[in-house]
Amino acid sequence: MLTQCVVVRNRIQSPSNHFCVLIPWFALWPFCGVSDLIGVPRRIRKEEITGLFGAASNVVSSDAMLVAAIRSGDEQAMTQVYDRYSQIVYSVALRVLGDTAAAEDILQEVFMRLWRSPDAFDASRGSLPGWLAVITRNRAIDSLRKRREETDIAEVVVSIEPDLTNRTEWSRALEKIHSALASMPSPQRSALEMAFFEGLTHTEIAARTGEPLGTIKTRIRAGLLTLRKALNP
Amino acid sequence: MSVHEQFADNLSLYALGALRGEERQAIETHLKECSACRQELQKLRGDLALLAFSASGPRPPARSQGRLVAAITKEPRRVHLRQRSRRTWWNALGWAAALVAIAIGVSLRLENSALRRRVAELETSSSKQDQQLLEAKQLLAALSSPDAAHFTLVAGKTPPQPQGKAIYVRDSGTLVFLASNLPAIPPKKAYELWLIPTSGAAIPAGLFKPDTRGAAAIIHPPLPTGVEAKAFAITVEPEAGSSAPTSQPIMVGTRS
Repeated sequence: MLTQCVVVRNRIQSPSNHFCVLIPWFALWPFCGVSDLIGVPRRIRKEEITGLFGAASNVVSSDAMLVAAIRSGDEQAMTQVYDRYSQIVYSVALRVLGDTAAAEDILQEVFMRLWRSPDAFDASRGSLPGWLAVITRNRAIDSLRKRREETDIAEVVVSIEPDLTNRTEWSRALEKIHSALASMPSPQRSALEMAFFEGLTHTEIAARTGEPLGTIKTRIRAGLLTLRKALNP
Repeated sequence: MSVHEQFADNLSLYALGALRGEERQAIETHLKECSACRQELQKLRGDLALLAFSASGPRPPARSQGRLVAAITKEPRRVHLRQRSRRTWWNALGWAAALVAIAIGVSLRLENSALRRRVAELETSSSKQDQQLLEAKQLLAALSSPDAAHFTLVAGKTPPQPQGKAIYVRDSGTLVFLASNLPAIPPKKAYELWLIPTSGAAIPAGLFKPDTRGAAAIIHPPLPTGVEAKAFAITVEPEAGSSAPTSQPIMVGTRS
């Protein structure tokens, strides 16, 4: 227990602001539970136990742990999150903007926002890659449409089931998403993609396709539910 | 699904940020009071994230990471005030707890060595007492042991007479009685020793049967304390004993 706590803390936090390493181990052992709580808020403990990326949970930190470390100013943790999710963020930005320089700007902006206000992401309620993907899309659309941000990122809670906690689950989920999109009727798929990647409103889509507004609305919702079902059959 | 159907389509449009004006306001008002729809909104955003994941493109260029790291280094995260104070508080608590633990440890250690000393003392005194007790037991055993050799010393050529000797301590009610050369006792009978107080009835002081040599001993029978004895007497009684003498004494002895 003690070993685990010290290892975890040293890895994701700068030891200087942690009393664990400063006082003798024998004075500490009864309080290990308390020391666990110092940097890592109570609400993410479950995920710590579950661990990210499978069995080697003492080697790889969970997203929640990384965000907690970022909250305490750990630059190393920030780099780890970047390694993990920069490709998703960049891909989404590039897909929306179609321009690498603009996509790089959005990438920089999104990660800087995580760095500046990690509290905006609530690990107990949502998925970090999901949150990053959604706010990236929103920022990219805002930038595309030259408008100001509409939704507070702290209010964006993105819940994905099941939790995509390891690489295998990830690639399996990606396969399912691609095949769900491929098997979707093409008007439904393009309505979905126009709404999401181009940021068109249902009214704009209806005008572009010449179809009734209600049909577009229904297609969008049905398309989203199809994706959800693809992961939770 | 427990989501309000009238909001269902608009909820996905809201998640996409496509709602404007009144429609948008209506849904925001509804979301404030409907947790089922709030949950559904989170799930719809999850669905949008899945759609976003489908954009799987290339990794960002390597320079992007350098740019981010440079920006982060230039802008050390200001630790949230609440966070910092909570941390300090936890830190203080941790230190306080550690100090208390150390104090408790020290006091336990002191108490422990005091107790050890006390135990050692008690052990010494207890072993002394054990020794004394053992000696006393051996002494008492010698008095009543059938293996003990008895010698009756008399003056001149007087043949050995039946004889009894009672040693009595009034205040503690302690009695040692030794007899020798007693005549054999008839079957189903026993001798009974009596304490005759200066006033009142005789008090039974023990039943006994002499051995083949006519010897007997009574060591510390149950007696009341503080009774002044005028004399001791022996009677022949039924084997079970009597609470008061039922025959004339065969031997009587007054205080010498």
